[in-house]
Amino acid sequence: MSELLQFAFSGIMIGSVYGLVAVGFCIVYNATEAINFAQGEFVMLGGMMAAVIFKSWGWPLPLVFFLAVTAALLLGLICEKMTFGLCRDPRVLNLIIVTIGLAIAMKGAVMMIWGKFPKDLPAFSGEKPLFVLGATLMPQAIWIVLISVAVMLFMRFFLEKTTLGTGMRAAAADKVAASLVGIPVRWVSTLSFGIAAGIGAVAGVTLTPVTLTSYDHGTMMGLKGFCAAILGGMGNVYGGFLGGIVLGVVEAFAAGWGSSGYREVVAFLCLILILFIRPSGILGETGRERIAKI
Amino acid sequence: MIVLFVLAQGTAMGAEEKRPYKIGSVFSYTGPGAFLGDRMKTTVEMMVESMNKKGGINGHQIQLTVYDAASEVTKGVTAANRLITQDQVDIISGAGNMSGISLALKPVANRNQIPIIANTGALAIVDPIEESRWMFKSHLSDREIIGKAIEYWNSKKITKVAMLSDTTGFGKSARDELRLQEPNSGIKVVSWEEFDMNATDLTPQLTRIRSAEPEVILFWTVAASGVVIMKNARQMGMKQTLMSGFGFVVPRFMTMAGEAAEGCVLVSLRYPVGPQLPDADPCKKVILQYTEEYKAKYGSEPDVYGAEAYDGMLMAFEAFKMAKSFDKEKLRDALENLNFIGTNGVYNKFSPKRHYGLTKDDAVVFEWRGGDWKLLMGAETR
Repeated sequence: MSELLQFAFSGIMIGSVYGLVAVGFCIVYNATEAINFAQGEFVMLGGMMAAVIFKSWGWPLPLVFFLAVTAALLLGLICEKMTFGLCRDPRVLNLIIVTIGLAIAMKGAVMMIWGKFPKDLPAFSGEKPLFVLGATLMPQAIWIVLISVAVMLFMRFFLEKTTLGTGMRAAAADKVAASLVGIPVRWVSTLSFGIAAGIGAVAGVTLTPVTLTSYDHGTMMGLKGFCAAILGGMGNVYGGFLGGIVLGVVEAFAAGWGSSGYREVVAFLCLILILFIRPSGILGETGRERIAKI
Repeated sequence: MIVLFVLAQGTAMGAEEKRPYKIGSVFSYTGPGAFLGDRMKTTVEMMVESMNKKGGINGHQIQLTVYDAASEVTKGVTAANRLITQDQVDIISGAGNMSGISLALKPVANRNQIPIIANTGALAIVDPIEESRWMFKSHLSDREIIGKAIEYWNSKKITKVAMLSDTTGFGKSARDELRLQEPNSGIKVVSWEEFDMNATDLTPQLTRIRSAEPEVILFWTVAASGVVIMKNARQMGMKQTLMSGFGFVVPRFMTMAGEAAEGCVLVSLRYPVGPQLPDADPCKKVILQYTEEYKAKYGSEPDVYGAEAYDGMLMAFEAFKMAKSFDKEKLRDALENLNFIGTNGVYNKFSPKRHYGLTKDDAVVFEWRGGDWKLLMGAETR
């Protein structure tokens, strides 16, 4: 029993992070119909910057958190302006390839600036574990889940209840109609990138105390988050988060019960299965609405 | 005409005779294995520079070419092929500093008939010897390290051990070795777990290990996931001693793991505890000299991996000294007859049947205590 609980705790913790990354994918997809393959790098960047700021100046963690996330958000805005903004033919395929280039550039830049050695960050409220029915739960894991859920709920609120958020969804649904009613479509794309970057950074900062971070940490995070987003239905914030949790838990149980060496394979196996069985994802729109858009 | 022709031939041969000795090196100084390769690269560059200042070997200058394998097997093989075909090196010292890469270079060595000296652990690099004519190791293999670990466990009356190895060539080789040596060793492996080198959460594996109730957990990787293992284990309230091998001798990893690293025991070569060795140890002088030279040039201290590369480059130097030739076959023969004192041992056990120069007696056991290494079980080199 305690074994099951241990796997569940581990799975939900890492699943929340995958879920956050998936939400980031959803935001950009909703605004631009493009998959932002640099999403994972923003996760890495958040953790990296927080670790570097903390190591250099020793400021209190909440401040470091805020700075890292804000910096990532601004960087996201700048990156979007410099890539999508300069794209002469902003077809979705081109945008996707641009994000791949951006990811590689970011990874290389971080490697050159901060080196190859992993970096760490102290846990937000210490490392004394809690014991729950024979399984151990780290306080940081609780932070991760709480913060992730809070961000996810905030994003849902933002997209549905605020003018800005509704405007973003309108621009995603139909660019021409949205600009006709006065929504600045270009600005929506930039903002979505910034928000996604910020969300990624939140995931990175909360996860670094547990897993350490290094310049190549982002690639796997991005891929897993992408799987989670597809699993839950690309474009649906709740779905993305749910997909993340499912992925994390399945991974943890596969490693715990099955062969621990093949844990990483599980994520991609899940992806293949969902694409065979239900391509629109667990909470995704079905084929009907897609045709209606045309 | 004929006189001119003969003269031209003479000068051509003369030019050929006086060309520099060309040594190639493949190291991984980016990627997860970077912290291993970093000191290796700077060490060999320092050695070649200082040897050239002293006049080279046999009057020949040494030309060193170093390529990055980026911790990836494919890049390592490409780099080696480049050294052989494009740069036309005579010998390669440095095979990617990761066992997986070194193993992949064996067919390259055999195909091109060029000696390759590896600074990595896996025994399969030089075993079976019939297929490894051109491969040499400056390092102990995991056979000796695991053997020393078993000796240590026996001395401490430890009988139940868990093995947590990564899925790289390095991890798998150690796992196979432990399986091989377990019968009649006095210890029992109660749990065999594996993990991916880049894993960030090891609690599932540690949970299963916890149920098996070992006395010691032996984990085997070169990556930062080892830090996560130490942290996870302590966070889960596990009190067993954590042990690892010669791929994890990294003070920075220990400081990152904080409290969790206190008392972590490592089985390794003797370089890190050089100053603590008895003066009678023949390697102590070489260790201190190397450390001083490195500090003078680079301003920081080298580490055990740099020391391995040091010995590996010494092997190449000695081969040139003995063979007095560019001929790869002669260099290869010379490598089978080496006899010199390196930083990590007295290298005199080479032979046509044995392509690595150290034995189990060259391994030491030390632990991390209070921010530094503390020698627990010394070397017994004769």
